[in-house]
Amino acid sequence: MAVDITLLFKASVKTVKTRNKAIGVGFDSMKDDILKRDRPKNGFSTKAKEVLSNISKLKEFLLQHRKDYVNAGSLISSDLTRMTDSERDQIDQDAQIFMRTCSEAIKQLRTDAEKRVISVQMKEHRGAVLDLVDIYLKGVCKLYSEQRAIRVKRVVDKKRLSRLEPEQRGKVEKTPSEDMERTPHEENNVKPTCMVSVGGVDLWEDNKVEDELSPEEIQMVHSHEQRLALTQTNAVKDLKSLQIEGKVVEISRLQEIFAEKVLQQETEIDHIHQLVVGATENVKEGNEDIREAIKNNAGFRVWILFFLVMCSFSLLFLDWYDS
Amino acid sequence: MAASIREKQTAALKRMLNFNTPPLKNTTAEPVWKVLIYDRFGQDIISPLLSVKELRDMGITLHLLLHSDRDPIPDVPAIYFVMPTEENIDRICQDLRNQLYESYYLNFISAISRSKLEDIASAALAANAVNQVTKVFDQYLNFITLEDDMFVLCNQNKEQISYHAINKPDIMDTDMEVIMDTIVDSLFCFFVTLGAVPIIRCPRGNAAEMVAVKLDKKLRENLRDARNSLFTGDTMGAGQFSFQRPLFVLADRNLDLATPLHHTWTYQALIHDVLDFHLNRVTLEESLGSEAGARPKKKTKKSYDLTAADQFWQKHKGSPFPEVAESVQEELDKYRAQEDEVKRLKSIMGLEGEDEGAISMLSDNTAKLTSAVSSLPELLEKKRLIDLHTNVATAVLDHIKSRKLDVYFEYEEKLMSKSTLDKSLLDIITDPDAGTPEDKMRLFLIFYITAQQPPSETFSSSQGDLEQYKKALIDAGCDLSPLNYIKQWKAFTKMATTPANYGNSGVKPMGLFSRVMNTGSQFVMEGVKNLVLKQHNLPVTRILDNLMDMKSNPETDDYRYFDPKMLRGSESSIPRNKNPFQEAIVFVVGGGNYIEYQNLVDYTKAKQGKRVMYGCSELFSAAQFMKQLSQLGQK
Repeated sequence: MAVDITLLFKASVKTVKTRNKAIGVGFDSMKDDILKRDRPKNGFSTKAKEVLSNISKLKEFLLQHRKDYVNAGSLISSDLTRMTDSERDQIDQDAQIFMRTCSEAIKQLRTDAEKRVISVQMKEHRGAVLDLVDIYLKGVCKLYSEQRAIRVKRVVDKKRLSRLEPEQRGKVEKTPSEDMERTPHEENNVKPTCMVSVGGVDLWEDNKVEDELSPEEIQMVHSHEQRLALTQTNAVKDLKSLQIEGKVVEISRLQEIFAEKVLQQETEIDHIHQLVVGATENVKEGNEDIREAIKNNAGFRVWILFFLVMCSFSLLFLDWYDS
Repeated sequence: MAASIREKQTAALKRMLNFNTPPLKNTTAEPVWKVLIYDRFGQDIISPLLSVKELRDMGITLHLLLHSDRDPIPDVPAIYFVMPTEENIDRICQDLRNQLYESYYLNFISAISRSKLEDIASAALAANAVNQVTKVFDQYLNFITLEDDMFVLCNQNKEQISYHAINKPDIMDTDMEVIMDTIVDSLFCFFVTLGAVPIIRCPRGNAAEMVAVKLDKKLRENLRDARNSLFTGDTMGAGQFSFQRPLFVLADRNLDLATPLHHTWTYQALIHDVLDFHLNRVTLEESLGSEAGARPKKKTKKSYDLTAADQFWQKHKGSPFPEVAESVQEELDKYRAQEDEVKRLKSIMGLEGEDEGAISMLSDNTAKLTSAVSSLPELLEKKRLIDLHTNVATAVLDHIKSRKLDVYFEYEEKLMSKSTLDKSLLDIITDPDAGTPEDKMRLFLIFYITAQQPPSETFSSSQGDLEQYKKALIDAGCDLSPLNYIKQWKAFTKMATTPANYGNSGVKPMGLFSRVMNTGSQFVMEGVKNLVLKQHNLPVTRILDNLMDMKSNPETDDYRYFDPKMLRGSESSIPRNKNPFQEAIVFVVGGGNYIEYQNLVDYTKAKQGKRVMYGCSELFSAAQFMKQLSQLGQK
C-alpha cells in the first residue's frame, strides 16, 4: 500500500530552506514564482480542454433529460414531466449539431497539431490526447444513440400494437380521437394512438350522447376525416421511414465493416495472384524441360541402336574376313 | 486474501496512475491526460500487468524511460515510477530544473531515504518548482508479478542476487549483507502489498535463514512503530477477513539442485526451457519460406505476449505437451465451425430479403447478422491466439524432435524416482544425435546428484566409471566445470542433511492407441513418445505439505519459527500455532523455475481450499543455471 510522504517532503523542503539561509545561499524565489505564472499557456491544451468541457456539458444535459426523454409510455396523460415529441426532436437535433461541431473541432485541432509541432514526443502526446477526446465523444454519442434507439423502438412497438386495435373499431372512431389529439400539435409527429384513442373515444362517446350532429357538423367531420386519413398515411410513411432509417444506419455500419474486410483481402489476393503467375511459369518451363528430355532420350536410343548394329556388322565382317 | 497478488498489484498501479485516488467506476468519465515516466525496474513491474492499450485507457498519452531524452511538454502532469537510486534522483532533479512538465507526482518503488528526499527538495527549491511537486509516494511495489500466484524479485539486476552471487566461495560479508538487504526489501514490499503479516519458517544454516532473520526484524520494527505502521488501518480492511495468517516458507536453492536442471514436459516450463521467454513474452525466430533454392531463408524475430486474458494459455500452461497439441487442434476446429456459421448467415439473408410482411423476421435476421458481425472481432482474436499457440508449439516441437527431449525427460524421471533404468547412461551420452552437449551435461549432473553412492566414491571400478563418463562427456563437447561444483556441493550437503528424496514418479509411455489418435492431428508426433506424468512431489512441495499440515517429519522439524507479531523473538522451532495453515507462500532464495511452480499449482489443485503462492529471487532456465554452476566450478 502506498504511503503518502508529501508532508515529509514539505518538511524536508523547509529544512533545506533553513539550512540554505544559515549557509547564506539565497534564491530569490518569490519574484520568479509570480513571473512564472505568466508563462504563455499552450494554445493546444486550452483548446483541447475546451472541447472536453463542452462534451462534458452535453453529457450532463443528456443524462439530465434522459428520464423524461425515454419516458414515453405512461398511461396517465397528465404526467407533468412528460416530454412532447417536438421537444424530443429538438433535443435530437441540438445534440447532433453539437456532436458535429465537436468532431470538427477535434479534426481542426489535429491538423493544427500536425502543422505546428516541433518534437516527436510532443506530436505523439497531442495525437494521444486527441484520441482520448475522440473516444470520450464517441462514448457520449453512444449514450445519445442508445436513447434514440429506445425511443424509436417504443414508437415502433406502439405502432404495432395500435395496428391490432383498429380492426375492431372503425376508422371513424379512430380518426376523431386522433383529431382531438392532433389539432393542437404538429402534423409530422407519430402519435401513440392506442391508449389515447381509448381516452378519446370515451370522450367522444360522451359527447355523442348529448347532442344530435347537425349536417354541417357531419360535413365538417367528413372533411376532417379525409384530412386526417391523409395525415395518417403520412404518419405511417414516417414511421416506415424511421424504421428504414434505423436499418440503413445498421446496413451502412455493416457495409463499412465489410469494405474493411474486402480491402484487407485485396492485398492477400494480390499476393496469391503473383504466386499463381509464378506457378504457371514454372509449369511451362517444366513442360519444355520434359519435351527436351524426351527428345534426348529418343536421340540417345537411336545412337545406341546404330552402335549395336555397327558392332554386329563388324563382327560378321571380321568373321567373314577371317574364314 | 481473496484477491490474488496480481490483482492487488494491478489495483495499486492503477490507483497510482490515477494520481493516487481510487479510480472511479464511471464508464464515460472525462479523461485526464498524463505522462508516465519509469526506469527499467518500473518497466519490468508494469509490463506483465498492464498493456499499452490499458495505459491509454487510463489517460497516459506518453510513457517514457527516465534516462532518455525527453522534450518539455508543459501543461501536463507527469507521474514518475522509479527506484530511489542516486542516478534516478539526479535525473529527477535535472527534470525539475528544466521545467519539463507542469506538475510532478513522484512514486518510488520502494521507500526513499530522508537524505535523498532532501536532495530532491533542494533541487526543487533551486528551480522554484516546489509547488509543482504535487505528491510524493512510497509505493512498496518492488517485485514483479508474473502470474496470479507467482512472483519474482527482479529482472534487471539479476546477477547481484543470483545463485552464483550467493554461493560463490570468495564472497565477503559486506556483499552478503547487500544481497540480503535487497531480498528483504523486496519481500517486505510484497507483504505490504499483500496486506498480511506471515508466520515465517526456514531451514537452519543457510542463506534462507539469514533472509528470514532480517525479514522478521524488519516486520517487527514496522509493527512496533504504531504511528507509521503499514499493516494497520484501511489497507488491511479487505485482507483481514481471513483470520488465519499465511505461512511463509523460505527455502534455499541448495536444498534441491536437480529440479532446475530437469528436462520438462509441461507447456509453460518447456517454453521457458527451450525458447526465449522473459516476463511473459516469447521471442521466436521464424524463417520465411525460401523462394528459390539459392536464396537463403530469411529469419525474422517475432515476439508474442502470453497474458492472463488468453484463455487457452491459462487453461493449458500446465498441461503436458501432447495434450496441448491436441487442444490447439480442437480450438482450430471450433473456430472453423464458427466461421462457417457466419458464412451461412450470408445465404440466409439473401433468401429472406423479399419478404415484406415479415418485418419481425427481417429484423431478427439483421439482429443475427449484427451479432455475427460484432462477434467477428472476437473470432479474429481467437484466430490470432490459435496462430500464436500453433507457432509457439511448433517451435517447441522442433526443439523436442531435434534434441530428443522426450528421451531425456523419461530417463531423468526414472533417475529421480530411483526406478530401474532400461538404458545405460553411457549410451545416451555417447549417442551423437540425442541432444546438445548441454542436455547431456544436465542429465549427467542429475544422475550424479540423485545417486545414493556417487560413482567416484566407491570401489575402484566405479572410479573408472567416472573417468569413463568424463571422457564421454568431453567427447560430446561438454564443459566439466559444473561437475566440480556439484562434487563440492554434494560433499557439503552429505554432511548436513540426508539427500533429498524425489518421491515416486511413474512414467508410462502411452502406446500405439494414442499414436493413432495423434496422427489425425496437425502435429505429427511420430518418434516422440507420448508421456503421461504421474503426480509426484518435488522436495519443495513436500516440505510445504509438511509445514502446512503440521505433520511431523525429520526434515522439517528442525526448521526455525518466526512470528513478527510476538513480543519477543525466540530461538525455538516449536510452532505456537497448532492449526494447519490455509494459505502459504513459498520463496526460494537463489532462484527458481516453472517446474517447481507447476508442481505447487498441481498440489494446490489436489488439496481443496488451500492457496499457495510461489516466489523466487530470480527465474532462470536450465541453460542459465548451468552457466552459473560452471562459473562456480571454475573458481
